[in-house]
Amino acid sequence: MSNRGNVSKIKIVSIFFSLLLALFILVQIICVVTHTTLPALITSVCSKEIRFAIELSLITSLISTILCIIISIPTAYALARYDFFGKSLINTILDAPLALPPLVAGVGLLILFGTTPFGKALAEAGIVFVFTPLGIVVAQFFVNVPFMFRILRGTFQGINPRYEHVAQTLGCTDTQAFRYVTLPMAKNGLLAGSIITWSKGIGEFGAALMLAGATRMKTETLPISLYLNMSCGELNLAIAAATILIIISLGSLFIFERYGGFARVF
Amino acid sequence: MIKTENFNISLPGFNLHDINLSIEEGGFFVLMGPTGAGKTVLLEAMAGLVPVKSGRIIVEGKDVTRLPPEKRGISIVYQDYALFPHLTVIENIKYGLHFHKVDRKEAKERLDRLLHDLDIGNIAQRFPANLSGGELQRVALARALMIDPRVLLLDEPLSALDPRFKEEIRSGLKRLHRVSRVTFLMVTHDFVDALSLANRVAVMNEGKIAQTGSIEDIFQRPISKFVADFVGMKNLFPAIFSGSRAIIDNLKIELGRIPANSHGYIAIRPEDIVLSKEPFTSSMRNLFRGIVSGIFDRGFYYEVHIRVREATFISLITKKSLFELGVREGVEILISFKSTAIHSF
Repeated sequence: MSNRGNVSKIKIVSIFFSLLLALFILVQIICVVTHTTLPALITSVCSKEIRFAIELSLITSLISTILCIIISIPTAYALARYDFFGKSLINTILDAPLALPPLVAGVGLLILFGTTPFGKALAEAGIVFVFTPLGIVVAQFFVNVPFMFRILRGTFQGINPRYEHVAQTLGCTDTQAFRYVTLPMAKNGLLAGSIITWSKGIGEFGAALMLAGATRMKTETLPISLYLNMSCGELNLAIAAATILIIISLGSLFIFERYGGFARVF
Repeated sequence: MIKTENFNISLPGFNLHDINLSIEEGGFFVLMGPTGAGKTVLLEAMAGLVPVKSGRIIVEGKDVTRLPPEKRGISIVYQDYALFPHLTVIENIKYGLHFHKVDRKEAKERLDRLLHDLDIGNIAQRFPANLSGGELQRVALARALMIDPRVLLLDEPLSALDPRFKEEIRSGLKRLHRVSRVTFLMVTHDFVDALSLANRVAVMNEGKIAQTGSIEDIFQRPISKFVADFVGMKNLFPAIFSGSRAIIDNLKIELGRIPANSHGYIAIRPEDIVLSKEPFTSSMRNLFRGIVSGIFDRGFYYEVHIRVREATFISLITKKSLFELGVREGVEILISFKSTAIHSF
């Protein structure tokens, strides 16, 4: 605590560092968005390739987010509500993809779907993950499901089981209590989790690159497009992809901060 | 009627042993006990929310031990009320109707009656976040009674409320019990709740029922030291009220006010009973001559039992007073107490 007139050193130094860090982040965003002119940006965004990338990114991230929601709801509920054998081990395993570099996750997925009998059987049945848009969905799901899971687990843990108890004594089964009481109460967590999962899905690069490859106009999502166009010098197209990614990220962050304040990711 | 037979519950770090309770139909049963005695767990087990290791629970002659909570006809109101925050007051109250076959007309009548009895018609469209503690409680009661349960379990419903309104809420609860004709089982650690509401009481300690009986049994004839210490409130007498007087065992006691009912109980705290050798003029309205029938060392104080005709009064006095007054067993002494020190109900 500092008295008036006696300015605290730690206050000045710590505020200085926070300003410096904010400036650093702001500068790099501004660098990207101002690198090209507005007409050039609009032309690029309207180009066939970027439109394809936007569309593919939206579709794959939407599907992978829905998958994350469907799988995470029961998983998170089980780990928030029940005690069972091996619970802490399962918790640890479910968090692992968070710590795993996406490239490594991608290699794992590639080996699973490309070389194992399981993967080959799926491929023969017509479900091909390697070098296809389907692979992008799987890669996004694998890397991002821990975000959804963790937010939902925190949300369910924060809802007192008494609400379900009361609902049950009022005549509904435990499943109905979950459906009509717990799930609506978890609305904010669900929304926040979906937004962050979707936004991470849009930006997913490493695992998708390994499993689905970087084929122009086939598995070209926005980050892949950025990578491809950057490497062959199509700077305007690369910047267009980057700008769209920035807009999506900041928008998601805003919504997440607004509704997910109570849910912790880490 | 609701009955538990040799109820045993085993939870991590917590056990309930051989709980045998029998609550008559339409009764108001109060379960008391110190924190950690297992009162809430017992309620939850009765409602089917906590698994029972062994024993049975019978509701109106039907064994419901193996039934899920929704099929037992037992409602619960928690201390924190647990109103569904995403639903309005009216939606909360009507929640149970979705899962019960209730005639539309009858449901409407029941709803109107509860809204009226509990005086919550004016807040029907609000959300729980915008309600006061008393309002939350009344809505929780309405929600629980809306499905017309056989038994209503109340888990310390008054403890979260402002003490100033407790008396009013108690009488509301009593009235609600009378008009709803539902069997009430209430957990509390406030003796006044037990004294003013219950027709039967059980005291619980360390996962066991320490004693079951009428209010008089528990307060006048505790069967163990634990219960005796727990109930603490000495000088409790059944009384007949006549005008501003209470009559106990031929003693006329001046209350200084006219009680609402014709008979009930009076209680006086031991420290409010003053001993003296000679009558003295003061504001004390009640003065009786008695015989010291027992003296017990209670650490900082001495507990003196004084027999006045058939009644035994208990007074707490300091060691100094004990010697100054020359209190010994068999000695005649005067007791006096103010009419304001008398609790009547």
